[in-house]
Amino acid sequence: MVGAKEANLVERLESQAEHGGGGVWEYLCLVRKLKLRRSDKVLKYGLQILKDSKARSKLGGEEWTLYEQVAIAAMDCHCFSVAKDCVKSLQKKFPESLRVGRLEGMLLEATGSWEAAEKAYDRLLEDNPLDQVLLKRKASLAKSQGNTSASVEILNKYLEIFMADYDAWRELAELYVSQQMYKQAAFCYEELILCQPTVPLHHLAYAEVLYTMGGLENLQTAKKYYASTIDLTGGKNTRALFGICMCTVAINQVTKGRNKEEKDGSELQSLAAGVLVKEYKQKAPKNLAPLLTTTLKNMKLI
Amino acid sequence: MAEDLVLDTAIRDWVLVPLSIVMVLIGVLRYFVSKLMRSHKAPDQKIVKEGQVVIRARNLKAAANFIPAKSFKSRKTYFTNEENGLLHIPPGQAPNPQAQMFSDPNMATDMMKKNLSMIIPQTLTFAWVNFFFSGFVAAKIPFPLTQRFRSMLQNGIDLSTVDVSYVSSRSWYFLNLFGLRGLFSLILGEENATDDTQRMMQMGGGFGMDSSKSLGAEKDSLDIIQHDWVLPKFEQRAEAVLRKLMK
Repeated sequence: MVGAKEANLVERLESQAEHGGGGVWEYLCLVRKLKLRRSDKVLKYGLQILKDSKARSKLGGEEWTLYEQVAIAAMDCHCFSVAKDCVKSLQKKFPESLRVGRLEGMLLEATGSWEAAEKAYDRLLEDNPLDQVLLKRKASLAKSQGNTSASVEILNKYLEIFMADYDAWRELAELYVSQQMYKQAAFCYEELILCQPTVPLHHLAYAEVLYTMGGLENLQTAKKYYASTIDLTGGKNTRALFGICMCTVAINQVTKGRNKEEKDGSELQSLAAGVLVKEYKQKAPKNLAPLLTTTLKNMKLI
Repeated sequence: MAEDLVLDTAIRDWVLVPLSIVMVLIGVLRYFVSKLMRSHKAPDQKIVKEGQVVIRARNLKAAANFIPAKSFKSRKTYFTNEENGLLHIPPGQAPNPQAQMFSDPNMATDMMKKNLSMIIPQTLTFAWVNFFFSGFVAAKIPFPLTQRFRSMLQNGIDLSTVDVSYVSSRSWYFLNLFGLRGLFSLILGEENATDDTQRMMQMGGGFGMDSSKSLGAEKDSLDIIQHDWVLPKFEQRAEAVLRKLMK
């Protein structure tokens, strides 16, 4: 999670670096610390420092960290020649290192030589069977090959040991959703909510999975989680507002034939619809607002 | 009577200052020696897993009310059931750390190394101090103290008439031994400080570091937890939020 203060600092340093005001190294350090993905900027400024031998020698031992950072950024930007050079110089400095071995594997992965990458990871895993990064890389390797079920399997095995790693849970949840295995995905999202109960995105995703599964109970639960998303975001999440409307309609459809005794008296759906209309009038292109109004009217929400 | 004692300046030059310097140098030396001897130990899969299980169980305990009752119940059984629950340790199977240590020679050598870097220099310096500097007063602290401090400050002098604010040489050694931590953290960096007191605590607790205990504690607290789903409340809160937005 990146706080507002840090995000501000990143913005400031970035604009400063852009206008040649120095602070490039600080910017790179901050990006690394916050684990941001600004590969193009990192590649540009990192190469600036690496090419300038005076600036490079000023870094001392940190030079190698920069090589690693630039290598990863270059892979992300498809500048494989740069990445190769970085990895090569790291190899020369640390021939036996696990960290460099990982980078080599990633380079192979980036260039699409899946088998070679897998072999490299497997070789490294022999010595360090509990390396979290390597295990996760294997999962992503399977995913990028399009082999989702293998990726799921690897992640499941990984989570059996490292069961407190919520990033892995999220990845697994998304994989399950893409495989339409909603029950399993719901479990993963529950796990995420347990890890970070105040992150609205998990509530939202959980609600969506429940809504997709359907059934009265699930729909009612989904509505509650949409409501909690609204509460946690202060009503700023349009998706959650739509979710409330959709859930209400679906619930009404399911309970149509039954007696109306348990009809809840809450105004949540009409309020959500109202806020949606208001937001669209303010922010969306002009022709969208009437469209929304008619849709909502058809749903009998306003 | 206390004013009568005049300390020779030679004591300052040949005992007080050298003793402190020697203690600092030994501390630095020990830091580097232990750094050389430190072996990188690969974490054991079982131990890693147990740690993660405890974290996950704690998360479940803390945020239990955020997931539906059904999900909570299934998780609770998953963690605490008596057959193969993650937190359940069959009685009699709890690993005995003592036995584990004997079965694993690595652990024993690790212990040895730790002890080597800690106890040997300490006994040597203590013997050195005892041999050369025992039995006389080396310094005076500039404020009076009560009698209770006598055993701390005047170790090695058995005179009840000497004022407590005088520090015997052997006590000066002990004061240095335990008081130089701040200086080490300045010289060697924050986390590198050779922290004797902490290490001693680890020694004491390290033997009995019993993961089954923490698992058992988590199990007990999960067993008694009451599930009270908070999400229905969120509907009302969301309503309030939206009402505010509509205004």
